[in-house]
Amino acid sequence: MAVDMKMPILIVDDYKTMLRIVRNLLQKLGFSEIDEATDGTDALAKLKCRQYGLVISDWNMQPMTGYELLQKVRADESLKSLPFVMVTAESKVENVVAARQAGVNNYIIKPFSAEVLKAKLKTVLGDF
Amino acid sequence: MAEAGKLDLVERLTNECIDLCRTLLRGRKHIDPLLDPAFRTQKLKRALDEQKTAIAEMEMAVDKIMSAVERLAEIDFSSAPSAADRVAACSEEIIEACCFQDITGQRLTHVMTTLGEVRQGLDALADGRDEAAPEPAVSGLLNGPALPGNAMEQDAVDKLLAGGSK
Repeated sequence: MAVDMKMPILIVDDYKTMLRIVRNLLQKLGFSEIDEATDGTDALAKLKCRQYGLVISDWNMQPMTGYELLQKVRADESLKSLPFVMVTAESKVENVVAARQAGVNNYIIKPFSAEVLKAKLKTVLGDF
Repeated sequence: MAEAGKLDLVERLTNECIDLCRTLLRGRKHIDPLLDPAFRTQKLKRALDEQKTAIAEMEMAVDKIMSAVERLAEIDFSSAPSAADRVAACSEEIIEACCFQDITGQRLTHVMTTLGEVRQGLDALADGRDEAAPEPAVSGLLNGPALPGNAMEQDAVDKLLAGGSK
């Protein structure tokens, strides 16, 4: 099944530059419905209000981290199957293992290239 | 009378010595965490390494951005389709390079946290406060960006996610 390029995507990061970077790259890939949140709490509130097709989240944010957001998403009946990609500078084995155990769909290490983002999104969403 | 005066002087000197000892002991409480080898060899050293790495990353990002801008300036716009492709490629490189702000921001936050701990100890010492400095919060899985040589590559992450080992 083809990927709906108009599906809403939520990007979560506490750095405005990073939000702009991810938004720009997603737009270049052809996605048009992109919302932003600046931490897990903000993201969770937005996830309750709109049906998203994908979450792309940073890890290191306050007050709610991306990891906590992932746990809450997976624990929520209405959100648990939502594709969730972590894009983070946290590159320790224990972080990746914890994210995998929490149910992350993919994990991208910062800094990343547009090519890596595209490849990982294809792995999660299918070809587009 | 002279004997009483001498006793007063001895008592005053003794009290001053006691006060001095108390002040030293209070100061020691604030300085101890900073003198701890773990603080100096790990935290302080890491802060210095983070600062150095952040400077190198900024330089690298600026170099990438400048290179892309120079290539933009050299584009021959008389060939519109290929020019458009080259502009798109350069702008993508610039966008990617801007990632540095997030990474260096996290590194400098680490430096600021460490400097904050030093400042807290020195402030308490200067103010003659009696209470011990609060323990820094435990960060758990929040390590921030790895230093060069310690970072896990994307390929290793992919393998780990797929269920393999690093």
